[in-house]
Amino acid sequence: MKSRTLYALFMIFLFSPISAWPASQFEELEKRIQTLEQEKKENSAPSSSTATGISRRFNPAISLNGLFLGTYNSQGDYDSAKDDRTELEIQEVEVRLTAYVDHWLRGDFTLAIEGTSGIEVEEAIAEGLITQSFSFKVGKFLVPFGKHNQLHTHAYPFIDLPVVSKEILGEEGLNEVGIGMSWLLPTDWYSDFTFQVLDGDNTNQFNGPAGSDFAYLIRQNNLWELNDETTINFGASYVYGKNSLAPSNSFDNETHLAGGDLTVKWKPAGREAYKTLIWQTEFIASFREQTQEGWYTMLQHQFAKEWWVQGRYSGYTIPHGSNQEDKNQWSALLAWTPSEFSTIRLQYNRLNQATADEHQVLLQLNFTMGSHPAHKY
Amino acid sequence: MRNYKFISFFSVWALLFLGASFSWAELKVVTTTSDLASIAKEIGGSLIKVDALVKGFQDPHYIQPKPSFMVKMNRADLLIYQGLELEIGWLPTLIDGSRNPTIRLGQTGHLDASIGIPKLEVPAGEADRSMGDIHPYGNPHYHLDPENGFIIAQSIFNKLSELDSANAAQYQINLDHFRKRLKEKIKQWKSRMDKYRGAQVVSYHNLWSYFTNRFELIVLDTVEEKPGVPPTTKHLAKLTNKMNRGKVKLVVQATYYKSEFSNRVAAKTEGTVLTLPAFVGGTPEAKDYFALFDIIIAELSKTLQPTSLR
Repeated sequence: MKSRTLYALFMIFLFSPISAWPASQFEELEKRIQTLEQEKKENSAPSSSTATGISRRFNPAISLNGLFLGTYNSQGDYDSAKDDRTELEIQEVEVRLTAYVDHWLRGDFTLAIEGTSGIEVEEAIAEGLITQSFSFKVGKFLVPFGKHNQLHTHAYPFIDLPVVSKEILGEEGLNEVGIGMSWLLPTDWYSDFTFQVLDGDNTNQFNGPAGSDFAYLIRQNNLWELNDETTINFGASYVYGKNSLAPSNSFDNETHLAGGDLTVKWKPAGREAYKTLIWQTEFIASFREQTQEGWYTMLQHQFAKEWWVQGRYSGYTIPHGSNQEDKNQWSALLAWTPSEFSTIRLQYNRLNQATADEHQVLLQLNFTMGSHPAHKY
Repeated sequence: MRNYKFISFFSVWALLFLGASFSWAELKVVTTTSDLASIAKEIGGSLIKVDALVKGFQDPHYIQPKPSFMVKMNRADLLIYQGLELEIGWLPTLIDGSRNPTIRLGQTGHLDASIGIPKLEVPAGEADRSMGDIHPYGNPHYHLDPENGFIIAQSIFNKLSELDSANAAQYQINLDHFRKRLKEKIKQWKSRMDKYRGAQVVSYHNLWSYFTNRFELIVLDTVEEKPGVPPTTKHLAKLTNKMNRGKVKLVVQATYYKSEFSNRVAAKTEGTVLTLPAFVGGTPEAKDYFALFDIIIAELSKTLQPTSLR
């Protein structure tokens, strides 16, 4: 009986497809079995967290941005109140933490350290979807007023802010605690509508006396893809709120902020890593007891895999009234970007203003380490 | 009478507005790469509508998260991507911006096609950015081994049948047809590449591992010193010496790289630079998953020298 079984097995083996396999297929299977056994070994050690309660698996993604800056300014060398005079400084360190809270909420925190002391919460966001096409966001965040205001310092296209942003919105930009929703419109092109209620703390434009003096934002944003290589983005923003001026007979304490932005981006098809051309223009105006207005326009050109050359002009005026002002700045920048995570940038500024004109030369090392979320387009 | 007119006008107007977000009879599938789209089309046939975000001639590492992609993804029932962090630079931003709850991680409309794929080049030990642009979970270009086509097709079939069980029978027929055709083609490709087994090539970027593994070619080294880092003159000199010693005369690279460095190496070794499509659509002739390998193998056959069998 035993020999019959053996004989049967032998015949099965002889006529089975296995025997027809070439040697390499056996080797292949052998390799796969070895890999699987190795994986099983690595994953089979039990974790102690059940007993200790200490687990790192759900820790947030963490990344750090370092912005190291050397500045030369032709003016104000002895003026310690001047924030952009000649110096070597840690421009900023940013710590970014992102994680899913649970199945419906995601958290996104940015801690900004200016210089080497004082941690500020630049953004503390909880966001998610209300339903299809409707997202919400709550917390403290860079308000989507125009394009530049939404950027963290390390993502600025130039080392510094354009003059118009600095003057109208302030060095910190429009950064408010608020709650908002954004609706992706059912159009063929990308079109969204955002509405936010903000605490209205910005000292330049809002900061009304009553706690209930909130600010309200609406923004409409569109992107058209002309072809594989070119996109055009057009957006309009408006924020209304009360400001800190005591109202009188000639003016009220309301601020109307309006902005328009246009961005054209080009990358050659099939050579995206090697060339880019970006042209971006923004108009910003503040209508209150005085009118402030201005704009910037900039061109960024990646001309080789690791090299960028850029130019920017920004103008700012208070056209009427007793505080008339007229300022503009020309900037030129050269950047070496050996990877997506580090860049060295050299920028020249020429600031024309009523007081002495300033010439600035800035050299910045700007790098990211860790698991950092991708930037918006 | 007026009320009825007003109501019907209003409802028509409202319908127009909602019209854009109606889902039609076919399942809407969005894939990241064109290879996934090609295989999905084979399995889904006319029952699905497939859109690939990345064109075959584009480097998937340098794709920008364009909002126009978000519109496509907003309307999609299923998102398929290659995974292994190939798309990590841009896909998360797109998923968020698309504001589509169905295609998020953990939801039914979300498919990571790398599940079940036997991964090559998983870094042993710690992975670090000092090693260049490495993929810490393994080489993500697994679609270049046609045997993995079976695994990808099975994953897509499972997902389509789950989302659209009414048509599962048709998907099964399509899957069987695809498997049969792929099996025949692999046999043809293997027999064509048989005389080149053991041949050594140099590649610009470490893109071809799954292909060379399947067809038993050997990648001597890459022109890039580290992934994503342009080579130094020192590295190029070392590479040229290696090639000359081993009499290796072929440098392969994907269409989306500039050939400046490969040309320099080829000049010093009397070699050839072969530009190949790395994805479906990388060249106009590589119009589907089968044609992709037809083209690659045809081009290689023109340039490789037959080796003596091992």
